Amino acid sequence: MPAIILPMTREDILKRMEDVQSLPTLPPIVSKLNEMVNDQEVTASRLGKIIEKDQVLTAKLLKMVNSSFFGFPQRISTIPNALVLLGFNVIKTLIVTSSIFEVMQASDVKLFEHSLGCAAAAGIIARRRGIKNPEEVSTAGLIHDLGKIVMRAEFPEEYDRILAAARERRISVREVEEEIVGMGHGEIGGLLASRWNLPESLVLPVRFHHTPERAGDHKKIAAIVHFSDILVRAVGYGSGGDPWVPPLDHGAWERIKFGKREAEEILMELEEKLAELQNFTVDIS
Amino acid sequence: MQRIPIKFAAAGMILEKEAMTPEGQVLCGAGTELTAELILRLEKQGVAVLTVQGHPVTLPGEKSLPERLKELDSRFSRVKGDPVLRAIKKLIARMWILQERGEEALQALEKQGKL
Ligand SMILES: [Fe+2]
Ligand SMILES: [Fe+2]
Repeated sequence: MPAIILPMTREDILKRMEDVQSLPTLPPIVSKLNEMVNDQEVTASRLGKIIEKDQVLTAKLLKMVNSSFFGFPQRISTIPNALVLLGFNVIKTLIVTSSIFEVMQASDVKLFEHSLGCAAAAGIIARRRGIKNPEEVSTAGLIHDLGKIVMRAEFPEEYDRILAAARERRISVREVEEEIVGMGHGEIGGLLASRWNLPESLVLPVRFHHTPERAGDHKKIAAIVHFSDILVRAVGYGSGGDPWVPPLDHGAWERIKFGKREAEEILMELEEKLAELQNFTVDIS
Repeated sequence: MQRIPIKFAAAGMILEKEAMTPEGQVLCGAGTELTAELILRLEKQGVAVLTVQGHPVTLPGEKSLPERLKELDSRFSRVKGDPVLRAIKKLIARMWILQERGEEALQALEKQGKL
């Protein structure tokens, strides 16, 4: 077996992440929205009006929030409505990541499908577990492999070599990352998410989706994302870079576990959603 | 049961689920047998996908059931020791067999101990 030497260490990555070029920086609208949200007086309708000034962004957001991976029961027709019904965190994350997903849809459609599928599964389970804002859990599912997107965009050669090594040795991408880089895509994604000032309820599940019992106050959401990742891989929808169903964390399973009957229902619901997602794209053409 | 884009629909197929417009308006119920005229009408009303009984068409790029089951097995090959994941895998296999071959085929396989 050939030795794989990657000129990449944890420090390299951290340093290069400081100055991530190929990933979109925060659209100016986000910092403006952030300021406004800190102001108690601001209403969803005022925030919504600001977003709606950007028609392209508005159309994209409405397409996302009405897509089947959110599975919101009624049609959402305006941004103020979306803000009230789904919450600011969801809308903000969609704004921040919309251009990333556009890029990903073109460059790695399998990872894109994996992300949408995970979002769909996370929403289904979150609703069944009575989580307050299931769309936020869907959003965590949507961005859980953000770290892989960053690696692919920022370190394309290295990432290709990681994928190749995983293929050759028939192990998971995550194992290769840990071994060669000493840093997994969870940590990388979590770093970026916290740099964007996303809330902990999104940052921690992203960071710890493979080790969900370390997710502090958000272990349950992390457990749902962890299991959703397993489930979309299990049914073979999209690809996270390798074909394996990853190991299940049994601590996480205890938090969300279900019996045979419910598992059947969840699988059926998921199949339905995934079939609807077949034709989903993030661009608005 | 199979979900098919409407352009693959043909007369004689039977709806497993009601046909709906993208807005969610129900146009005809489960159990309806498709005719050429009906298909045309549904298409005009914007119906894109139908769920029909059995597995009447092989869609482009679609894998056969045995192939899908084989791949399912291989995806789970690194977590064979986990009882929860083993159960999930079995449920997925059952769901697919049921959808494509129906209840009797599933029971037959179970009797033979093949699941
Ligand atoms: Fe992952
Ligand atoms: Fe994943």
